[in-house]
Amino acid sequence: MRVLVVEDELNLNEQLVNELKGQGYAVDAATDGEEGLYFGREYDYDIAIIDLGLPKIDGIDLITRLRSEQRQFPVLVLTARGHWEDKVQGLEAGADDYLTKPFQMEELLARLNALVRRAAGYAAPQIRQGDLLLDTGTKEVRVSDVAVELTAYEYKVLEYLMLNPGRVISKTELTDHLYDQDFDRDSNVIEVFVGRLRKKLAPLNPIRTVRGQGYRLNREEAPVDE
Amino acid sequence: MRLGIQSRLLLLESLVLVLGLAAAGWVLDRSFQASVRGGAEEQLRLLVFSLMGSIEDNGGVIAVGLDTPEPRLSQPDSGLYAAVFGDLGEVYWRSPSSLGVAFENSLPALNLFPGDFRFMTTSLRGRPHFALSYSVIWESVEDVQLFFNVVADQAPYARSIAAFRRSLWLGLSAVVAGFVLAQFLAVRWGLRPLRTMAEEVAELESGRRERLSADYPVELVGLARNLDRFVAHEQRSRTRYRKAMEDLAHSLKTPLAVLRNGLRDKRLAAPAEQHQLLNEQVDRMETTVAYQLGRASVTGPVIVGKPVPIAALVDRLLRALGTAYQERGIEAISDVPADFMIRGDERDLLEIVGNLLENAFKYTRSRIRIRAELEPQRVLIIEDDGPGISPSVWKDVLSRGSRADEVQPGQGIGLSVVAELVRLYQGHLTVERSRWNGALIRVEFSR
Repeated sequence: MRVLVVEDELNLNEQLVNELKGQGYAVDAATDGEEGLYFGREYDYDIAIIDLGLPKIDGIDLITRLRSEQRQFPVLVLTARGHWEDKVQGLEAGADDYLTKPFQMEELLARLNALVRRAAGYAAPQIRQGDLLLDTGTKEVRVSDVAVELTAYEYKVLEYLMLNPGRVISKTELTDHLYDQDFDRDSNVIEVFVGRLRKKLAPLNPIRTVRGQGYRLNREEAPVDE
Repeated sequence: MRLGIQSRLLLLESLVLVLGLAAAGWVLDRSFQASVRGGAEEQLRLLVFSLMGSIEDNGGVIAVGLDTPEPRLSQPDSGLYAAVFGDLGEVYWRSPSSLGVAFENSLPALNLFPGDFRFMTTSLRGRPHFALSYSVIWESVEDVQLFFNVVADQAPYARSIAAFRRSLWLGLSAVVAGFVLAQFLAVRWGLRPLRTMAEEVAELESGRRERLSADYPVELVGLARNLDRFVAHEQRSRTRYRKAMEDLAHSLKTPLAVLRNGLRDKRLAAPAEQHQLLNEQVDRMETTVAYQLGRASVTGPVIVGKPVPIAALVDRLLRALGTAYQERGIEAISDVPADFMIRGDERDLLEIVGNLLENAFKYTRSRIRIRAELEPQRVLIIEDDGPGISPSVWKDVLSRGSRADEVQPGQGIGLSVVAELVRLYQGHLTVERSRWNGALIRVEFSR
């Protein structure tokens, strides 16, 4: 998951970035509205965290402009003053949820999780595809009710695929959303992850290779045919 | 600096007075002149008649008797001249006063019909004179047309006109001065309450006075009352800010003291224990700040608040909260009628309803109803089907206003702020069980 953080308070910005990276998110951080707008325009994010009181372009303005440019990723707004006028304006501008400062990091992470799931069309933290179950809250994966041990990157690949079911996802897109920095894109790291995932998820085989394009997670678990 | 009210009134009234009296003076002057002129004509006419009466006709030889009716006709150069001409211009008689005065040229032409008078102003030796001519057919041996002419210097008349004018304008000026003075006093007296008010407001400002005195004239009573309310509102806000600041400082002291003691306490050596202590106290400080901030940012009832339509405000909040709580699939329905209005600051009302609705969204299982009662009191009711609010939490919420340093974390801070706000609006907040056994919050607004 790639997250955009727009927060002008440097300490909080840094804390957010560290916490999110620790949770396995790829993070871009901006400290004012202008920078936030640049990032939001240039890159595709899974979610953005935007403070309402920003220098240069304020938060509400920033959300309005991103939305008017068809950037549809979910937005969580942070507000310091906690006035309802601010929260309502933020939501009316196109934000999806709000959090009043000071907040607990756990609360923020739970909201982020929920927003990402909601954007993918799932209401509950558990995402099910046939016999495959992924819990975005506890980060557990079960195959036919049996827990499967995954590494952090294997989990991230599977989560991203499950949050975008039925869509062909290129290796580049996977790399963009999983890694903080640009890794060597020619490497076959992704292929290795997918190969290991397939083994661990057996006998299910939800991940299909679309030749020359990438991978696709089928909407419903298909019978093993390989 | 703009022109003062007193100067404006005086200037305008003086202008009107001067113009009005000048017009009156002009009219009086004109009519006096006309009457002087009329009097002069009448006098000359009488003179003509008496001249006619003194004509002696000795068988066609016409002469005026030596006893001229007016002594001034006998004095040379007296300013009053008379002559009797025939229709060919022959002189039958001329007054001794006209010796050496060639006044014939100043007379009208001899074209009067018998029986006609002609009165005119003429000039003689460079000075204005009145002239009257009269023509008559004198029946004697043979009938002759005679022209009686009288010329009088205007100087005496002009003198009386000038005298009249002098006293007229003197009198009028006295009237103007009197009126302006009276106006000045009236305006000063009339505006005295305003000056008093300005002084009292200055005293309010410097703190020497708490409110305006009560005895203002009827036109200013409303203003004085509103000013008083405004000042009282300001004072209340100031008191509230100060109290919030004190409460905040006071309520932060306790966790700070706990932290400081914790640093010294040797029993709390283990990092886990320190961490727990830190966490608890930071939580407590957070809650305190949130609560006190909520209280202090309230505007309070506004003096001339416009009525805020609550239905629109509820709809706006439902849309916003519906977005934030989208995945919960909550069915929130508002039956608040469009004419349900509350007079107050819109932001305050948004805080009240926003906090209540947020609580409802947070705790409900599936549904929220918002409705309103208009009679006998304006009441807003929010119901949900959540677990409800326990009496102990509710007791906490109600007592929080008086014991601000006792704020405990996680105990419905939003509800406490709402309770405080509703109190400010002289309203009342109660919690009951909803029909689904969840929470039902009644907000009664004062009339």
